[in-house]
Amino acid sequence: MAILETRGLRKIYGSGDTEVRALDGVDLAVEKGEFAAVVGTSGSGKSTLLHMLGGLDRPTSGSVTVDGRELSTLKDEELTIFRRRKIGFVFQNYNLVPVLNVYENIVLPIQLDGGQPDKGYTDQIIETLGLQSKLKNLPNNLSGGQQQRVAIARALAAKPAIILADEPTGNLDSRTSQDVMSLLKVTSQRFAQTIVMITHNEEIAQMADRIIRIEDGRIVVRG
Amino acid sequence: MIKVSNGSCIRRLGFRSMKAARARNAVAVLAIALTTVLFTSLFTIAASINYSLQQENFRRAGGDAHGSIKYISWEQSEQLRRDPLIQDSWCRLFVGMPHDPPFHISHVEVSYIEPNGASHYFCTPVEGALPREGTDEAATDTRVLSLLGVEPKVGAQFTMPITLDEGTSHPRTIERTFTLSGWWEYDSAIPGNNVLLPRSAAEELCALSNGEQDSLTGVWNLDIMFKSAIGIRENLSAVLENYGYQSTEAGAENYLIIGVNWGYTGDRISNGLDPMIFTAIVVILLLIIFTGYLIIYNVFQISVTNDIRFYGLLKTIGATGRQIKRMIRQQALLLSLVGIPIGLLLGFVTGNILAPVIIAYLNYKYTFVSFNPWIFIGAAAFSLLTVFLSCARPGRIAARVSPVEAVRYTEGGQQSGKKGGKRKAAAGASLPKMAWANLGRSRSKTVVTMISLTLAVVLMNLVYTFTNGFDMEKYLSDLVATDFVLGHADYFRLSENFRSADQALPEEAIAQVISQGGITEGGRVYGQEGTIQALLPEEYLRQGISIVYSEEELDSVVASREHVSEDTVAGSAQLYGLEDFILGEINVLEGDITPLSDPGRNVIAAVYAADDYGVIHEDDNCFKVGDTVTLRYVKEWVNVDADTGEEITAEESVARWNRGETNFVPRAKVYEEKEYTVCAMIEIPRALTYRYTILGGSKLAMGAELFRRDTGTSSVMIYAFNTDEAASTAMDDFLKDYTESVQPTCGYESKQSMTAEFEGFRSMFLTMGGTLAGIIGLVGVLNFINAVLTGILVRKRELAMLQSVGMTGKQLNTMLVYEGLYYTMLSAALSLVLSAALGPLVGALCSAFWFFTYQFTVLPVLMVIPLFLILGILVPLLMYRSVNRRTIVERLREIES
Repeated sequence: MAILETRGLRKIYGSGDTEVRALDGVDLAVEKGEFAAVVGTSGSGKSTLLHMLGGLDRPTSGSVTVDGRELSTLKDEELTIFRRRKIGFVFQNYNLVPVLNVYENIVLPIQLDGGQPDKGYTDQIIETLGLQSKLKNLPNNLSGGQQQRVAIARALAAKPAIILADEPTGNLDSRTSQDVMSLLKVTSQRFAQTIVMITHNEEIAQMADRIIRIEDGRIVVRG
Repeated sequence: MIKVSNGSCIRRLGFRSMKAARARNAVAVLAIALTTVLFTSLFTIAASINYSLQQENFRRAGGDAHGSIKYISWEQSEQLRRDPLIQDSWCRLFVGMPHDPPFHISHVEVSYIEPNGASHYFCTPVEGALPREGTDEAATDTRVLSLLGVEPKVGAQFTMPITLDEGTSHPRTIERTFTLSGWWEYDSAIPGNNVLLPRSAAEELCALSNGEQDSLTGVWNLDIMFKSAIGIRENLSAVLENYGYQSTEAGAENYLIIGVNWGYTGDRISNGLDPMIFTAIVVILLLIIFTGYLIIYNVFQISVTNDIRFYGLLKTIGATGRQIKRMIRQQALLLSLVGIPIGLLLGFVTGNILAPVIIAYLNYKYTFVSFNPWIFIGAAAFSLLTVFLSCARPGRIAARVSPVEAVRYTEGGQQSGKKGGKRKAAAGASLPKMAWANLGRSRSKTVVTMISLTLAVVLMNLVYTFTNGFDMEKYLSDLVATDFVLGHADYFRLSENFRSADQALPEEAIAQVISQGGITEGGRVYGQEGTIQALLPEEYLRQGISIVYSEEELDSVVASREHVSEDTVAGSAQLYGLEDFILGEINVLEGDITPLSDPGRNVIAAVYAADDYGVIHEDDNCFKVGDTVTLRYVKEWVNVDADTGEEITAEESVARWNRGETNFVPRAKVYEEKEYTVCAMIEIPRALTYRYTILGGSKLAMGAELFRRDTGTSSVMIYAFNTDEAASTAMDDFLKDYTESVQPTCGYESKQSMTAEFEGFRSMFLTMGGTLAGIIGLVGVLNFINAVLTGILVRKRELAMLQSVGMTGKQLNTMLVYEGLYYTMLSAALSLVLSAALGPLVGALCSAFWFFTYQFTVLPVLMVIPLFLILGILVPLLMYRSVNRRTIVERLREIES
């Protein structure tokens, strides 16, 4: 069964002459454990799709179902709580909380939920991502690659149903990009984690299990 | 929704992100502290006034016990004082009073008071001690000693007369010699003086009593303190009941008289806090909350706006709106924890400096600074309320941030793409236009900052308009008729006035003054009120009292008065006896006053008083020229039942009073009636009148000689006189010393002292208003600094970018200065408009003060403009310099966080 599924997803900004169809009927299903890459050019609607998948924004019509729950049935606060339990985010700009150190950043979503971090599990993540020696550092003392690794660790820590990664390597040089991609791939396998990644970079996308192309708000089936 | 415990994590987040915002914290702490200063000083002043009033009342009441049970035996007191309701108690055994000269001019009581009660009667020796048991010792105050001509020295011997069994058929006066064991300073606020004896000596004297029923010699009073001053009467009744007594049925076997100290009673205190003061306090409270709101709101609003990405990010990774709100509330609480104590301390100091200024004006003899903990609790509570009110909206905004916002901000990879950007380009790139556009970027911040600055200026302008309108000429012309007015101290006290012969000015004082020389002319005004009745038309009485009674009450009240005929009642009268000099000072409205000087003519003048606006109303007095006035000189009064008109005993009256019933009225029993013809209608200058009116009563004046002859009294209400120019200062000095140290029961007014009082009154308002406006102004400036500083901080990269594309440092500074000037100059303009608009309104309101003449002025606003110019230039320059220490490249590179 698909852990992530969209049906007839539409997002329309403005109306009349200025109407922009950012998403125009997207049907998509991602299986558990799958590492999928959404590829598209700038303005193709891939970021909008990610926002819809993550419950950050609400669609004009259509549905998004994550782990059996249809997001549109949730109220704002419920959606927030659902999000912090079921969805992990990795952003191009890392979006770490500058005033918290690496460890605190990683366990923040769990603590916001009032839970206790699973020590063994987080240690495993930290080790996998090679962050053991940086736990006490503040984010702005880290390199971009290191910050992105912290962001990935944070996304993994809450054991979400899916991880949504928005251009995770967009701010990194090619060497570091490779590292980060390898880490994503490894974690996806080791922790059986579903990952949906957005990128405009074909080369990066090739490392995923599956590539979904999007153009003008529609999914293009190509091989 | 599942209830989760995530408090510590939110706390940590809040605390850490707070540590990152040092500048904001400093401003917020200052803002909270200033707000607290305002609250604390307001409360300190109010509490100090209230406390001083209460202390003054205790002194007038003769003690600060909550209540007492009167005229009991020692055995009864021993029994009653064991009641668990009673917190503290002390007994007093009354012996007698000295009446023979030199004690005829004072009220001295000889008694034994249990040692723990002495201080409650304000009898704490400053030197020596209370009299010891088994000796001939006695303790008293400097006034009694000075009457006896004895130096206040422990061990001095003095002999005094004591009248026992006063008010009975056989009073007698004995003489005793005592050794002074201790003394305290005389306090003119306390109406009676005490001579304290040891118990054995008091009991020995009481044993000489004739034992008649009415004698007070040998009776005990039990003074009581309860746990609180609330419900004293109920508590006293409860104590009586517990031991089988009651205070409602006079004449019954178990009847006891109780007394409640009126210094404590709620209505007395609420009388002191009249609606005008109450309204003023509420208005000032709201003003302070608003002031505090303006800045604290602004500080939080700006900081939330700047950190919007941060909140969006928190939202994305799963913080709920409620958690974010809580985070902001916690930050506010933490800042309050620092700011409020600072404010409490500073506010208490400020309040203590300001309170005496007001209390001095209120003419209280004592200035007590209150340390009431409620001042601090109240001020802290109001400050917290203000803080939470202020951060509610910023909290809501942060909580409502859409998570996409965070992502969107990052997508651009740039500083927020605010809408103003486009407008700026369209407006062209001139520096003033850019600066103008920059102000428009965050309208709410700009508007709030300007209102905050404006508030202080407008307030200052209003205060100035108010005090500027104080018209000395108007004030003096109404209040000063002669250079000096000498009278009993009570005559000058608004709460006392001249009401009985006890408050007459001693002839000796007049003689003392005259002997100083330099007096060009002078005269006495004799007075008598309370023992005189005039026969008045019922309609006149009804008219006069109609303002205090409802339509229904009016009929029964009028009916309860003694009617000598269908439409004539025995009413009250204020009678004047005027010496010739005074007759020369009065204003004759109609008729001829020369016959007044001739005691053989049996003529009288009807006195009319002008209202606050100088208008004399025809119905102010019921008598016109040619009318016949019948006066009654009353020798004895009785109380009668208001409904039946039947006479009731004094005991029954007390009992009814104690039950809270007021259905009895005094009526003249023994009196002599005389008739006079009205020869003139006159107006007496306010300064020479009784200075109070009896509603529904008549005001009448005779020549001095006729007054003395017919009333059989010669109580001088005042002695008014003029001096020659050269002697006036010496006279003022003499009277000041005389009324303070030699004859403290006397008071005086002089043209000089009135002028000073007027100036004091004006400066009190200036000080108060100035302080309030000053602190609010400080808040405004702080707000402005914060707005400029955050405006620069948030645009650090943008400003660096502007420089990188060719804007010189000078141009940049100019642009920022334009921004600063726009703020301050717009505030000045707004102040000008508001002041001009509100001025006439205040003028209209203040015309309620009869000495107020409204004059339009915006002088304070104009004077503030240069200050605002300097602020508008300096603040942006200094703020920019403080953040602009690094190179453009460094600043461009800096990662927004």
